[in-house]
Amino acid sequence: MSIIQVENVTKTYKSGKGIFDISFSVDQGEVFGYLGPNGAGKTTTIRQLMGFTNVDQGRCLIRGMDTRLQAEEIQKFVGYIPGEIAFFNNMTGKQFLDFISQMRKQAKSRTAELVTRFELDVKPKISKMSKGMKQKVALTAAFMHDPEIYILDEPTSGLDPLMQKTFIELILEEKKRGKTILMSSHSFEEVERTSDRAGVIREGRLVALEDVNSLKAAQRKAFIVTVVSSGEVELLQNSNLEISRITGNQVEIIISSNYDEFIRVLTKCSVKGLDVLNQNLEQAFMKYYGREAEKNE
Amino acid sequence: MNKTLFKQTSKSNWIIGVIIFAVMMMYLSIIISMFDPENMEGIMAMLETMPQELMAAMGLTELGVTLTSFVVSYYYGFLVIMFPMIYSIIVANRLIAAHVERGSMAYLLATPNSRLEIVITQALFLILSITVLFLFVFLAGIIFSEILFPGHLEIGSFLLVNLITLLLFYAVSGISFFFSCLFNTTRKSLAFGAGVPVAFFVLDMLSNVRDQYSWIGNFSLFSLSDPLRIVEGDAVISISIVVPLLIALMTYTAGIIIFNRKDLPI
Repeated sequence: MSIIQVENVTKTYKSGKGIFDISFSVDQGEVFGYLGPNGAGKTTTIRQLMGFTNVDQGRCLIRGMDTRLQAEEIQKFVGYIPGEIAFFNNMTGKQFLDFISQMRKQAKSRTAELVTRFELDVKPKISKMSKGMKQKVALTAAFMHDPEIYILDEPTSGLDPLMQKTFIELILEEKKRGKTILMSSHSFEEVERTSDRAGVIREGRLVALEDVNSLKAAQRKAFIVTVVSSGEVELLQNSNLEISRITGNQVEIIISSNYDEFIRVLTKCSVKGLDVLNQNLEQAFMKYYGREAEKNE
Repeated sequence: MNKTLFKQTSKSNWIIGVIIFAVMMMYLSIIISMFDPENMEGIMAMLETMPQELMAAMGLTELGVTLTSFVVSYYYGFLVIMFPMIYSIIVANRLIAAHVERGSMAYLLATPNSRLEIVITQALFLILSITVLFLFVFLAGIIFSEILFPGHLEIGSFLLVNLITLLLFYAVSGISFFFSCLFNTTRKSLAFGAGVPVAFFVLDMLSNVRDQYSWIGNFSLFSLSDPLRIVEGDAVISISIVVPLLIALMTYTAGIIIFNRKDLPI
């Protein structure tokens, strides 16, 4: 059963940017990753789902209700993290969380549990908190009323790697409990670890809508192989592997799904070093982001 | 109306109201203590040493001889316009536009409360807080007068002046609130939310300077009520009541409808 439905939604801003004819749906109990670089239209889509903006065309439904017209009803069972951290001035973490609870007329609460889990100190004023701390406050506010549906706009931004791990564990637990989750991200690794399916958005258009495994097959990873001699560099060059750069005895090799072949060729050389090169989303999904990836290089 | 939000809004804005009220009290006490039923000529002589255009702009050309008309002409022609105007401008901007610009509006709307409920709560806060401000000024006027000159203040006409000025401020705050709802940045909200009332204020002052400029007053909201005329009983009160009420109704309603429908960049 589809819980979140986005049907042919177009929303254009004066600048000409926006989202164009976007359609996807998220089923009950599914974790959906919404992938795209900054400015691609992730937040624009999420604003529609939260009922903050009016569509030009199409419609967004959550549990069959129009997200713009029935936002009040929908917010009873949705937890939301905004893409940009913004709170009320001069509130402490505790005052803010209490205020939001009261605004939700929330009976049950697992605030205390989440505060412990995120190692969050709620006593200081929010304006005095670090970015990571603020993000933890936002996470707690989104999860504390134990909602059925989560809409999370770049939920891990600002979190340190350890907290990112804690967050991913939390998402997986919620998934086990049958929650429906839509989270946007510009990191495929994060989506890969949590999501069942993902949509890839580029310049306001959905360029892929696939399960995470087939996306993974399309992902390009760059490895830097250090070999001993220039003869071995030649050997690598003569293989079928895609080579993007050679500096001395270091060879940068792009792998998408041909890991087997990669290993077979490597066994013929004496490998001194092997590193994975960090790539951004555009480089990892050249297939979808051809033009932009070249621009970035 | 949402009680939780109302409480929160009061908590983050009451200090502005208190400061405005304190400044108004300082002037009120000074003005009442300046009244001297035996020696009005002394005050007149002092006023004549001031630049006449400046005094005229502040509406101080005609001074009443009773305590009521003295206070009303001194205080309600200028100070009671300026300070509540500052309050309206600052607070109206904070109620909606600042929340949208900062993004904290997203948190309000991510709770199960409709936009309508949130914007109406904020509008009610502005209306109620201005009402309370004027109630306090009215009561303080009576208390100061009774302490210094017992029995001199005509409470009936003093009440009427306060009520009519209050209505005027429903309109002024409505204008600022409208722009706060219309714009998504405090820069624009303040430019118009302060600009329009201040323009009215300046036009009103200009119209007082010389008789040949008095037509300028036709373009000013503040010229709708002439406090001294009200006290003396020869002002057309119906216009001072109906026009501000209509403007208030229109601006608040329009602001609420616009906010309920618009795209929010949050």
